[in-house]
Amino acid sequence: MNKFRLLFLFLITTVFFSCSDPNISDDLLDGDIIFDPSLYNPEQFLISAKYPTPTPTDLSKHIILAIHGYSATTFEWQEFKDWSTNPSYRISQVLLDGHGRDYESFKSSKWEDWRSAITDEYEKLIALGYTKISIAGSSTGGTLILELVKSGYFNTHLHPKNLFLIDPIVVSSTKLQSVVGIVGPMLGYVEVDQSSQENKYWYRFRPYETVNELNAVMKNVRKGLEDGVVLPSGTYFKVFHSLHDLVASTTSTVLIYKGLKTSSGAPIDVQIMDSDIHVFTRLSLRSNVTPLQLANQKDAFNQIANTLN
Amino acid sequence: MKNIIIIPFVLFCIATQAQVLKVGLRFQKTQEMYWENGISSQYTFAKFKPNQLFVGFDYVTSRLGSAYNSNAINQDTYLLSGSWLFNKSKPYHIVTRLNMGYFYSDLEEAIFKDIPNTSFLFSPEVGFTYDFKKAPISLNFGTGFYIITAKEGYSPGTLQPLYFHLDLYYTLFKK
Repeated sequence: MNKFRLLFLFLITTVFFSCSDPNISDDLLDGDIIFDPSLYNPEQFLISAKYPTPTPTDLSKHIILAIHGYSATTFEWQEFKDWSTNPSYRISQVLLDGHGRDYESFKSSKWEDWRSAITDEYEKLIALGYTKISIAGSSTGGTLILELVKSGYFNTHLHPKNLFLIDPIVVSSTKLQSVVGIVGPMLGYVEVDQSSQENKYWYRFRPYETVNELNAVMKNVRKGLEDGVVLPSGTYFKVFHSLHDLVASTTSTVLIYKGLKTSSGAPIDVQIMDSDIHVFTRLSLRSNVTPLQLANQKDAFNQIANTLN
Repeated sequence: MKNIIIIPFVLFCIATQAQVLKVGLRFQKTQEMYWENGISSQYTFAKFKPNQLFVGFDYVTSRLGSAYNSNAINQDTYLLSGSWLFNKSKPYHIVTRLNMGYFYSDLEEAIFKDIPNTSFLFSPEVGFTYDFKKAPISLNFGTGFYIITAKEGYSPGTLQPLYFHLDLYYTLFKK
């Protein structure tokens, strides 16, 4: 066998084994047993499902759409819902399309699919008569909110009262994420080291196709910010970001600050948190939670709740 | 910081008899990040591996690329390099290179003063150079990869590892 045949055989074998699907067990969200509970009981998570015929009292309340990040589920905002006792607002926890289901659903989803779950709930609430709607997004949830602003979605829909971003990702801290478009087909997927409990709420295996989608929406938003983006009139905007975010580089918030202005041309509000965790508002299932982390979470929750009026 | 890199390099070049000095423009694109353009120079020495070992200095900035007239971050990269050319007797060469340098991004606002915005750089590169026979011009295409050892979240976000560049050189003197 000559050298070229050997090389060809090596390449075929490498591609075959590297592109094989991961070994998914039933105790993972990636499998066919565990799903996000909002798929079974949407009325416990979505305001549009819980109050299909809202009363005037219902309609007078603020609604906050809570948007989770890449590979996550509604669990990411559960603590905010549990913390919230103020009757003046309600929280609608949106599950992004392709998420909270199984590996194949995630693998075949596009970032436009992820976004569609947000606009579906937003438009349902508008159709029901709600006028005081805000959106809070963590990580990629924040990126999708920025994409909606950048694309002009709110030019033809009710302007949101407030937009809150927690650790949004416009630039990644994970340096190798930028080369997934090149090496992804050889890798097939990336496995994330997370606890057995976290395996039920976040996909453990991230197909490279979805990382490409994440890169695509980040690039889309980044380009928009470079050109300049203006908020809808009457919309308040604040971004919170951990100083040393291991996933979404804090430089993301610098880019948002430079590229996004209010409708009157004023700068947006920014708060850099003394934190080194990604999505600092989610502390559940984290080990060794510190008083500082609890204070940061409470600070963000308070500010979101108190800014609504 | 810039002086720490540039001054020893200039002194080294003055102290050594240069055989070939090429200067030119560099056009650089980082994968999933900015266009950064600037200048590039390459020297080879008469008394030590002439036309085979080159030392160089490069400066690229997003100010002349993606950040020009946009909200992209202004950032600067200073590199010193050592290159080895293969096929030195032919007009085309495979080039291998090691770069060391410094990265700085200007985050502008006081509220961002604690965010990491500088980094030391080290990157291996491979490329291809073509010397035109009838003109003192050469083209170089290269691709490199910054070895970033800082913990995630502790290096500048707009410093990404994989980059590609095209250099257009004019040979100032050759002896």
